[in-house]
Parts: sequence; C-alpha cells; structure tokens
Amino acid sequence: MTALLEVRNVSRFFGGVKANLDVSFSVEQGIVLGLIGPNGAGKTTLFNCITGFYPPSSGEIFFEGQRINGYPPDKVCKLGMARTWQKVRPLAKLTVLENTVVGALCRTNSVAEAQRIALEQLRVVGLEGRAPVLAGGLPIGERKKLELARVLATRPRMILLDEVMGGLNARESEEIIQLILDVKKRGLTQVVIEHDMKAIVRTCDRIVVLNSGEKLAEGVPQEIVNDPRVMAAYLGDSGGAKA
Amino acid sequence: MRTLLPWAVAAVVLALVPLWVQSPYALHIFILLFIAIALGESWNVIGGFAGQYSVGHAAWYGLGAYGAFILLQRKAIAPWFGVWVAVAAAVIVALAVGWITFRLRGPYFVLASIAVAEIIRLAALNWKELTNGAEGILAADVPPLRLGGTVITDWNSKTPYYYMGLAMALFCIAVNFLVKRSKLGYYLQAIREDQDAAHSLGIPLTLSKNTALAISAACTALAGSFAAFYVGFIEPQGVFGIEVSIQMVLTCIIGGIGTVAGPVIGAVVVVLLSEALRASLSSAHLLVYGVLVIIVILTMPDGFVGFIAQRLRRKAAPA
Repeated sequence: MTALLEVRNVSRFFGGVKANLDVSFSVEQGIVLGLIGPNGAGKTTLFNCITGFYPPSSGEIFFEGQRINGYPPDKVCKLGMARTWQKVRPLAKLTVLENTVVGALCRTNSVAEAQRIALEQLRVVGLEGRAPVLAGGLPIGERKKLELARVLATRPRMILLDEVMGGLNARESEEIIQLILDVKKRGLTQVVIEHDMKAIVRTCDRIVVLNSGEKLAEGVPQEIVNDPRVMAAYLGDSGGAKA
Repeated sequence: MRTLLPWAVAAVVLALVPLWVQSPYALHIFILLFIAIALGESWNVIGGFAGQYSVGHAAWYGLGAYGAFILLQRKAIAPWFGVWVAVAAAVIVALAVGWITFRLRGPYFVLASIAVAEIIRLAALNWKELTNGAEGILAADVPPLRLGGTVITDWNSKTPYYYMGLAMALFCIAVNFLVKRSKLGYYLQAIREDQDAAHSLGIPLTLSKNTALAISAACTALAGSFAAFYVGFIEPQGVFGIEVSIQMVLTCIIGGIGTVAGPVIGAVVVVLLSEALRASLSSAHLLVYGVLVIIVILTMPDGFVGFIAQRLRRKAAPA
C-alpha cells in the first residue's frame, strides 16, 4: 500500500455531538481526492483533525506511514501537509509577498531565499503583480489565490483545500480549477472540499462522501454522481440514505 | 540600507549634543527620552510584532532594577556586572511566565500579564529581608567605572548617563530592526495577524512567542536597571507598578505599534508632554495624557507612523 495519507476509523465528538464517526479512507500519492457532503457533514472537522487543530477523539491518522495523531499543526505542516481555510485568513497588515514569505519560511531560514520561493509561487497563482499590496485589501478571488500561494510556498507533499471556490464567480472558479489541475500535473497530492459538483467531477480522481459525520460513499466521480444514496443525502431524504 | 541613513545621522548628532549642551536639565530630558525609547522598543518586540499586549512589563523592568540594586547592596557587585545577572534573572522568570500565560489569547493574556506583575510587586513589598520592603533601596557607593587602571567615570555628572542611555536606546532600536527583518519577525507578525493561520503554515506558536518575550524582557530589564541607577533609588510601587507597564504600551500606541520608528516618536511625545505639563498641572497631567491617547486611538489607530505612512501611500497612488 502506497497511501500518502491514511485516515483510519477517525471519530471526533464535541460533547454529545458526533462531528465525525468512524471515518476511514486513504489518499494515494498524486491523486486529487474530493471530500463532499451536505453542510454540517463534518468535512471541515475532518480537515481540522488531520491537520492537528483538534486531536481525533478516536482512530488514527497516518501520513507517509507515520502516525500523526496529536501532532500540533506546525509539525504537520513541517511534515509536508498544508491546508487552506474555508473562511480565508489573510495576514491583513502584511503584503501579499510577505504573506507568502511566511509560508516559504517553513522550509528555509533565509528570508531572501523565502522571498524567491514566494515570488515563484505568486507567479504560479497569477498574483505576482499584487506582491506589494496589503493582503487585507484584496478582493475575495485574490484572497483565495493567496491562500493557495501560501500553502504552495510551504513546499508541501500534500495540500488540503477547504472550499477554495466558495464565493467565487464562474471565471474565478475556472481559474482555480485550472490551478488545481496544474498543481496535480506537478505531482502534488490534493484533498479538496467543494460544493460545486461540476468542479469536483472535473478535478477529482476519487470522491469520499460524508453525511452526518459518517462516510456515506466512496468511488470515482461517475459512480458518486449516480449513487442514489448521495442524491438522497443532498436532497434530505433520510429514507433514501438508509437504503 | 537607505532606511538606516537617517538613524545613523540622528545617532551621530545625538552623540555630539553634550559637547554643546551643558544644562543638566536638558541632558536630563534627553536621558529620560532614551529610557522611554528603550522601553518602548522593548515592548514593541512582543506587543508590536507579536501582538501580545502585555500590560505587565513592569515585572521585567523591576526585576532588572531590583536585581542589580540587590547585588550591589548585598554583595557589592558593581552594576556593570550586576546588570547582566539581573537581565538573565528577568529572562528566566519571563520564560517561566510565558510558558504558562501564552496559552491564553487576547484579553485573557493581558489580564494574566497584569496579574504576574502585581504578584511580583507584592512579593517585593513583603519580602523585606531581600528587598527592604516599602522603604526601598538607595544606590549607595556605586563604584567608579574603570577600564584597565584608569577611571572612566565616577557617575557624578549627567554626561556618562547620557552616553549610556543613548547606547542603550540605539541597541534596542537595532534589536527591533534585526527582529523585524528576520524569520522570527515574519513569524511574530503572522501570529499577530492570525494565530491559527500562522500555526497552519508551520509556525511554532509558543516557541516564537517565548523567544520574543525573552528578547523583550531582556531589553526591558536592561532599561529598568539603567533607569533605576540614574534615579538612584527604587521601591516596589515605583518599578513594579502598573504605571510603568502602561507607559511602555502608551509610547508604542501613540507612535505606532509594530514599527521601528513608532516607539521613538511615541517616546518624544510622552516625555516632552509629561515634562511640560507636570510643572503647570502637577498630577493632573495624567488627564491630558488620557485625552491624548483617546485622540490618537480615534484619529490615528496605527499611531503617528501609521498615519504618516498611510498619507504617503495615498499620495503615491491617488486612486
């Protein structure tokens, strides 16, 4: 087995609320895995468990064969797994370049070297012209790209993208889809949370569906879009979900 | 390097001032200014860059002062050796405190920092065998500073304090320059802007904050012990009181938090204003202070430096 990330029976409870229950899946090197599900299905909680923001209540998480449960987020990032945020988190009073330099410093102690890496990644996402602008002043489309540049600058082995297309218009979404495909071509493994099914079908090799914290289905995009249980989960027919 | 030029010119001019200015009062104002700059720059490392608004820096100021005074009084250790022991002690206590209080965020951290300074103040007040309690300690018999066999100064005029104060202020400014441009500086500013985002980008939060606190506490303790020897007397309320902490924060708020020049400008405003008003208004000068801070916060939330920078940016890009 050559899974880069393996999630094994992960559960996460908040008091009596089960945000994730016994979720297992694995992500092979180089693929794009889609993580979908209705609102409140536990997608972001799962990201938070994987990247160390909350330890899972039970279950295990392996990255490159190493058990990473309970590792703090900075250590997870150092190991090569970087995430973006659904609600973007620009470092508002730093410039676009400085934001990206912060990411790049994950792999180097030299600020000059980090600036070089940062510029390179800003070019990848098409923000090099905005380098000297304060990040707090960017419109949403550019903020999403900045999130992407920042995680790419950490030189990850794998990135987790939490709704990078949320709130974007059709043209901006298309740019992000192209970016995901470009990054994939370079061999970077990705897990994407997304609501836009068209984007998911175009970018993902495999899809995991969560519903009420549990894994409902897993398969290639064509299987998932034709799965009656998935349809039922999205349309809210609980009878269908059990079938 | 062009940004360093004005600083170098200012340093040279200030180094020449005592050649022309003999008035002890004028030199006294300069010395107060240097102390205020050093303290503002010290606080700026943890408060300005890392955004951890400590209102308990009197703890490090007082530990620097008491450490050096006690070593002189009990062990007859000359201040220029004792100071470094006091600075080291302040850093050790700061790291122990930081390890506990940096788990707290926002207002909870502020409250914890105030509490720590109060605990240390009360300890200094009541541990009479060590500190003399509320009576305080007088800096008696400060030995002259010798290099080799020659006496450099016997501390009887203001000039040696002037040069030491200037060197200390420049040192603290240089520390801010270096921190701001270093990896640590980027880390601290990222933590200030968004702690979770910083954490997710590989930044070790507690280590970064504690490193900043250690630097900040060391500079504060240095300035604290210098100020104490300049005054010649310390007592718990004077060095551990919350006024000391607030003064450091105000210097930065007025000048511009998180900038290198901000605390310098803030120090000029604070020192000149309090000197000018103290004569005419006695203790009501604090009132004017309060009004000034309100005006600055309302009209220039990023301090003088932020205000000017914004103006320049608008001029550069009239859109």
